[in-house]
Amino acid sequence: MDRLRRSSFYKYFGVYLFLFVLGAMVLFPMVIAVSQSFMTNQEVNRWPPKVIPTEPTLDAYRQVLTQQDLRLDLWLRNSLFAASGHTLAVLALCAPAAYAFARLRFPGNKILFAFLLATIMLPSQVTLIPNYLLMRDLDWLDSFRALIFPGAANVFGVFLLRQFFMQIPQELEEAAVLDGASYFGRFRHVILPLSMNAIMALAIFVFLGHYNDLFWPLIVTSSLETRTLPVGLTILNQSYAGQYRPMILAGAVLSTLPILIVYIVFQRRIIKGVTMTGLAGR
Amino acid sequence: MYQTNARVAKPGLLSQILSPSLKTREAIAAYIFLAPFLIFFSIFFVRAVILAVEYSFYDWRLLRPTRPYIGLENYIELFEDEVWWTAVQNTFVFTIMTVIGTTIVALAAAIAVTQPVRGQGFFRVLLYMPSLFSVGAVGLIWVWLLSTQFGVINYGLSFLGIRPINWLGDPDLVLPALSLTTIWWSFGFPMLILIAGLQGIPEQLYEAARIDGANGRQLLFNITLPLLRPAILFVTVTGVIAHFQVYGQTYIMTSGGPGRASYSVVYYLYQMAWVAFRMGYGAAVAVAIAVIMALLTTLQFLFISRRVEY
Repeated sequence: MDRLRRSSFYKYFGVYLFLFVLGAMVLFPMVIAVSQSFMTNQEVNRWPPKVIPTEPTLDAYRQVLTQQDLRLDLWLRNSLFAASGHTLAVLALCAPAAYAFARLRFPGNKILFAFLLATIMLPSQVTLIPNYLLMRDLDWLDSFRALIFPGAANVFGVFLLRQFFMQIPQELEEAAVLDGASYFGRFRHVILPLSMNAIMALAIFVFLGHYNDLFWPLIVTSSLETRTLPVGLTILNQSYAGQYRPMILAGAVLSTLPILIVYIVFQRRIIKGVTMTGLAGR
Repeated sequence: MYQTNARVAKPGLLSQILSPSLKTREAIAAYIFLAPFLIFFSIFFVRAVILAVEYSFYDWRLLRPTRPYIGLENYIELFEDEVWWTAVQNTFVFTIMTVIGTTIVALAAAIAVTQPVRGQGFFRVLLYMPSLFSVGAVGLIWVWLLSTQFGVINYGLSFLGIRPINWLGDPDLVLPALSLTTIWWSFGFPMLILIAGLQGIPEQLYEAARIDGANGRQLLFNITLPLLRPAILFVTVTGVIAHFQVYGQTYIMTSGGPGRASYSVVYYLYQMAWVAFRMGYGAAVAVAIAVIMALLTTLQFLFISRRVEY
């Protein structure tokens, strides 16, 4: 392998070239967003466009964080809170259900599971209007409950966890039965600890999906205090795009920073988790 | 202590498993495990789907006190609405362009990243990065990159002698521009799936082919692509389903414009239900979208089950 590597630069020159070009194309929009967020409005609205600010300024960041009608810090907290709550709800509902489907014999196991799988065919849009009206009738509009609970019964989550639970050797559970463990004890002390990888993978997948969702939070939240980051960004865009462009870029940068930091720290785990959940979908 | 208990319990265990009382207990336990999920699923999915169909037969406007039953009127109006058909066409065009684009980029990236080159891990992490962005951030950044007057993309093209292009304001260019944005944003996931697919191809196949004198191109077309076919199909069909639901890019970058040139079906639903507050008509739109998507998903299942023949 090492010999191959040393002699391989010329052999794989085309591959390197392609990766550098693609990498540059991926990075370029981010670099522009970051560097122009340190410019003044005048410098950004200039032809030819500049990549490096002549006099870097934090003006855009100051403005985006101090406007009365923008609450980026609060929106970030809301997004993190709602996405975490939703993820926990998904895990709390899906893991026990997946255990029942994977391990327990009960009348209707197969039919019920087949029915759940078939519902994956229907897109979530079909539930939007009835669920929105339900939120209104429950007086849940503009609250975290509306962001956390609908959609928490995630069929894909059950499917994914069931696959993993079924792979755990039956003998391990039998040992727990001999120790007098109840069904809950077996689930809690045997199955869960052995499937932490799958659970983490599902958690990452669900969290990212919810954190970046726009449609549902857009329709169920209305006050400045309950908006989430993606919705907040659209508000920022509508109110300030014409006035002070670097603010928009600063907002985009600030909103992406937390998730990017988490990504860089846990890159392996996240990439593995996303791959794992993706492959299970096959 | 447990050990002694276990020894005593063991002979009884087999007979217990076979006894009907344990069977009943197991079933009861199963239903308890399932109950929370099924309650939520019934309320937020089953109930919602049934009600969506029901609402679609009513002229229900949120701001009006009455909601008369109107039979199939909503569906008839939908079928006669040119804007709906524009939205359907736009969505298909966008989906096809985006899926082809993401699959090609993802495939090339996956093959490149699995070659024995330095920095594989680095490139994998870098190339997946845009997928973590929210559609909000992606939209705001790309609106600016695509700006006619001050956009960096037009600046780059000016070196090729191309005059500034009004990407998001030209009805013929707005869908390709949104598609380009989306490809940048979302090729990471199919790339990861294809990488996993490539890693599943046994190295011996390549070695054997090389001994037989096969060149790189032959390896690609005779080994890699045929064996990767299931994974490619998978990312294509899941891509179709994901991109058919395009909404955020339209909402943030174009508001469906210019005119109706970038209306997507989900954007149309949003306009009808939450801008015009027509819940009944919106429900009919949602049902129509669900029917189209169910057909697309059925195609997916057909494709994937065909994989077994390979």
